[in-house]
Amino acid sequence: MQPERRRTGPTVCRGANHSMTTTTHAAEDLADVDSVLAGDVQAFEGIVRRWQAPLVNMAWRYCRDRGRAEELAQEAFLRAWRGLASWRRDSSFSTWLFALAANVYRSDLKRFPTVTVPVDEAPEPSRPATQHHALAAQQSTDSVRRAVLALPSRYREPVILFYFHEMDVAAAARTMGLPEGTLKARLSRARALLRSRFPHLESEHAAMEFGDLKTGKEAGQ
Amino acid sequence: MKQTRTHYSDAQNNVIDRILATEDALVPSSGFLASVMERVREEAAAPAPIPFPWKRALPGAIVIAGMLGAGAFELVREGLPAAGEFALTTPHLSVAMEQPLEQAGWVALALGVSVFSWLVSKRLAGGSGLL
Repeated sequence: MQPERRRTGPTVCRGANHSMTTTTHAAEDLADVDSVLAGDVQAFEGIVRRWQAPLVNMAWRYCRDRGRAEELAQEAFLRAWRGLASWRRDSSFSTWLFALAANVYRSDLKRFPTVTVPVDEAPEPSRPATQHHALAAQQSTDSVRRAVLALPSRYREPVILFYFHEMDVAAAARTMGLPEGTLKARLSRARALLRSRFPHLESEHAAMEFGDLKTGKEAGQ
Repeated sequence: MKQTRTHYSDAQNNVIDRILATEDALVPSSGFLASVMERVREEAAAPAPIPFPWKRALPGAIVIAGMLGAGAFELVREGLPAAGEFALTTPHLSVAMEQPLEQAGWVALALGVSVFSWLVSKRLAGGSGLL
């Protein structure tokens, strides 16, 4: 059954650090899981409250659609609810939850893929000289993020999870259930694809930063 | 030259890292938690799914396993002596064509067994079949 699509989307904020959450909430997770398994349905609310932001953000990186990200996260929580007894406790609860969510997102996006273009056809950012620097930087950033979704699936997911886990290879590998070496290799290939798609990225960003610096100096005078 | 290229790709990687790592975070909508918990409560309140009737199915499964085992045993028993006398022969299609009634009998028997097993399984499952 598909959950109802909400009209009001989530808002955006800067800097949600889920890795900090991962380490500090282990005891609370354990207690809540025990309560849920003992029959206390309400205890699951604590789990949802703690992990809703990371799971929605993870889903967002998979699909870049706010409404769908929440639907996917909701489905992941339901699967977690159904399979709570299958958490073997040999890994942390967050590792289990992220791996489960990644499976949900992956299989859902296989069935209903996001509308993407092949990475070779992803739009390249326009030249910054003709536009305002901030706008050009934003366009360039958006293009790179869209290009990630256009990567072949075996390279796309390592990139998504690597940056979701704040560039922690081990955490991304655990979530995908892959050896770290395999993940590194795929990540390297994905970056090479992105580099080849955006060959002027480094010089453009340097020019933008220089432009911003210059504008800032002029404004300061 | 190679060093320059490496430096260039490192710099590009740094830009890619910067773009993908410094992403704005979404805050779930205010109703998200309530919506998830509503679904969870619905699931918790729903009756448990009907388990597969293993007790009823067990005799049938044992019979089928026994028949398969006996068939395999017969195959091995008959096949081992014949394996020593193995020789390639051309198939005699005409022989099969000469015995159409015998073939039809076997087909009828197979159909009869299928219908019988279907009726038995329908009866065991509570009589809610297609007929």
